[in-house]
Amino acid sequence: MTDKIDHISRQKFMEEMRRYQKGSVTRRHFLGVTGLGAATAVLGAAMPGLMARPAFAQGIGDRAVLATWPNYHDVANFDAFAAETGAAVQVNVFGSNEEMLAKLQAGGSGWDVFVPTNYTITTYVEQDLIEPLDLALLPNYDAASFDQRFAGPGTVDGKIYAVPKNWGTTGFAVNTNHTGGTTPATWKEFFDRTQTDFSGRTMVHDYQLTTIGAALKAFGYSFNSVDPAELAKAEELLLATKPHLFAISSDYQPSMRSGDAWMTICWTGDGKQLNRDMPEIVYVLGREGGELWSDFYAIPKGAPHRDAAYALINFLLKPEVNAKEALFHGYPVPDARLNALLPPEVLNDPILYPAADLLNALEFGAAATLTDPNRAELMARFKSA
Amino acid sequence: MRLYAAAVFAFLYLPIAVIAIFSFNAGTHASQFTGFSVQWYGKALSNPFVMEALWTSFIVALCSAVIASVFGTMAALALQGMTGRVRMVADALIYVAVMVPGIVIGIATLIALVTLFGWINPFLALLAPEGQAPQLSMGYGSLIAAHALFSMSLVIIILRARLAGMDRSLMEASADLYAPPFATFRQVTLPLIFPGILAGFLLSFTFSFDDFIIAFFVAGSETTLPIYVFSSIRRGVTPEINAIGTMVLIVSLLLLVTAQVILRRGPKKEGGDAA
Amino acid sequence: MQRRLSTWLLLAPAGVWFAVMLVLPLCFVLVFSFGERAPAGGYVPAFTFAQYANLPARGTAFLNTLMLAPLGTLLSLLIAYPLAYFLAMRSDPKWRTLLLILVIVPFWTSILIRSYAWIFILGGQGLPAVIEWLGFGQVRLINTPFAVLTGIVYGYLPLMVLPIFVSLERLDKRLLEASADLGAPPLRSFLQVTLPLSLPGVATGCMLVFILLMGEFLIPAMLGGGKVFFIGNALVDLFLQSRNWAFGAAVAVTLVVIMLVTVSLYMWLMRRMGGQRDDVAMM
Repeated sequence: MTDKIDHISRQKFMEEMRRYQKGSVTRRHFLGVTGLGAATAVLGAAMPGLMARPAFAQGIGDRAVLATWPNYHDVANFDAFAAETGAAVQVNVFGSNEEMLAKLQAGGSGWDVFVPTNYTITTYVEQDLIEPLDLALLPNYDAASFDQRFAGPGTVDGKIYAVPKNWGTTGFAVNTNHTGGTTPATWKEFFDRTQTDFSGRTMVHDYQLTTIGAALKAFGYSFNSVDPAELAKAEELLLATKPHLFAISSDYQPSMRSGDAWMTICWTGDGKQLNRDMPEIVYVLGREGGELWSDFYAIPKGAPHRDAAYALINFLLKPEVNAKEALFHGYPVPDARLNALLPPEVLNDPILYPAADLLNALEFGAAATLTDPNRAELMARFKSA
Repeated sequence: MRLYAAAVFAFLYLPIAVIAIFSFNAGTHASQFTGFSVQWYGKALSNPFVMEALWTSFIVALCSAVIASVFGTMAALALQGMTGRVRMVADALIYVAVMVPGIVIGIATLIALVTLFGWINPFLALLAPEGQAPQLSMGYGSLIAAHALFSMSLVIIILRARLAGMDRSLMEASADLYAPPFATFRQVTLPLIFPGILAGFLLSFTFSFDDFIIAFFVAGSETTLPIYVFSSIRRGVTPEINAIGTMVLIVSLLLLVTAQVILRRGPKKEGGDAA
Repeated sequence: MQRRLSTWLLLAPAGVWFAVMLVLPLCFVLVFSFGERAPAGGYVPAFTFAQYANLPARGTAFLNTLMLAPLGTLLSLLIAYPLAYFLAMRSDPKWRTLLLILVIVPFWTSILIRSYAWIFILGGQGLPAVIEWLGFGQVRLINTPFAVLTGIVYGYLPLMVLPIFVSLERLDKRLLEASADLGAPPLRSFLQVTLPLSLPGVATGCMLVFILLMGEFLIPAMLGGGKVFFIGNALVDLFLQSRNWAFGAAVAVTLVVIMLVTVSLYMWLMRRMGGQRDDVAMM
């Protein structure tokens, strides 16, 4: 086979090799230019055992490490991604933005892609933990087709750091088999009934934004309040409720499905998934209000497999794939291109797309809640009590 | 009495039976039995992340056990018969290493290494040419180092007990017969303490392989088997975890029984506490 | 002189290891405990006792641990001792090693998975379902201190059985024969001969289990449903969620101090009662 390599000079070979190693050219180009591709093909044909597995044009590596939320992805799409690119997706699940921030602050997380919520992105930029996205590597991201209301938070100082995944709301899910006719409709009722007929059957999130926020809403305060007096009242309510809680966890689906828990603070998609499989579980938006949020894909600084990261995000943003994801996770996606691909039942689903009056009562999370020490300490005190 | 023992064994094995039974679950939820199938064993064995976690656990356990055994033995030999301040300090350090809960050691190591790397890395970046600076981060190194520390304490404790109970006259006799110190060590001391070293090695290996708490904090981007199991539980448990657990159990059982059979055939019976 | 050099050389690697991986990290923790929380989480250098003053905020966690850890140790001892006794004294020597292996092996299955099995057993579809079927009404077992207690006793039982077994097995049976010959009833022989002689094993077992329980966070997290907080859980939360490294360091230092005091007290008691050397008793 050496006569093939003689056709390109040794120097040119080393040049191409270096270019390939630095990632300036694709493997296909390298193999073509040096003739190694043809050589391997001939050799492989002669000895089938030597044939390499399908050479992927991009050569992005063998894995992409993803940090995300519970029940957020259809595994079938990851399998398709692996089949297409040869990179398997390693999934790490977290229940709160604080946990993700803590892991990134400790360094060496090993993540390639993670899913931050809208209010955290400015903090990540300030802490120098994420890098601006190179949109050239994300051809499937069409900024124009995304609703700015939900895509906006991903842009900080004019640079795009994150692209939207889906948006959603925070309400609560109730198993109507146990509500005795009257389904709670407000956060106040949520907390009151936890202490009476739902005692021992309610869950709250292990996540300060939603749990403290829900308690604040029960008094009519802002979801994002960092006012010490208001927080004190919220803490009082939470501590009074604690003995009646079933669990404090952001992974509430298994308990709701098994019937151990009857009511829980809940996100849109989980509410949809639960309702789909168990119609007796309904998703309710507390009338006082709640959280409106938007989740994004972002790449942390120092991601070990940057190519795989971009490939994964690009793959998941492809409208066909995104539609499959949307059908699975049940969260609304702000990409207008999906409207043509999703069935009308989904596009008109009141769980995913709440009525205007309910939607208007919701608030986006505020960055202050992520960094406010009082809220963090309140949550820790509540859990510790 | 027999009945009591049987009851305790039942208590010990009830959860294990549950795990094993559900590992054959055909459904995807680890809590609803929908049919009999061995698919999860296949899935676990062909899951690249499981295999990688297993490999990482194995390498870390092996390296830390070797380091702990070698350095620990050396330290135990050095400390034998020593008195005075050095001995006191050594005793205190070993005492602290064993007594401080794993979670504190894990956290302490995490913050110490993160801070240290935070100081060293920019410095390294200055020294090395563009983009090629080696960056220190948590991973294999921190895992092996942290595990080796605790294991070393175990080895030292085991060996000190062994050395203390050893018959000095044998070594004195060897010296009287003009054997140089190293030969004495190699032909008299070492064989006598070898079971202790082996016990220490095995104990260290087991501790490291099974450790979750310390690994959880210092593993960085690496995944050991216990860490993989933990994140699976957070990710939504499928019977794949049950399959992994059952397999580990069977392998341990086989290893222990084999070891016992071999030891029984050996020259003398060990005190029964090699595990 | 040469001997001293070789001794130092032998001691050096372990010495360096301890200095870098034990002393240094603990020093960091100590220093951090006097610092303050960085605005977005983390640590800023400072010198203040504020973190220590804030310790009562985790009072319940400390209380939980200081109550459930000794309780768990005691229960574990009560269950383990008869089993160890049976294995050492009453079991057929042919089967003894096999039975011992059967005790150790569960310890080698990840405690995570074993605790996960308890979530199922104590959850709605497990034991409570059986209890309800038997007509005793609905009872909630999971996510309670009871569940955590069960989990910790179960998890550390093998660790308690082993040292007691070793101690009992080394017992010179002739002492018991002598006691019987002198007319003592079996119970008296047990109380005055067997029990005292097995104390080193009991001490080792209790010490091992207690130390591990004080640092436990997995079992309370899994079986307590986030509602039963041990000091370990408080630590994990402070470093991996609240990101208050300074306060976390203070809690960690306090935990170490509690351990030092308790274990030293224990060792002193043991020494007064038995007069055994530490390291021999430890193993």
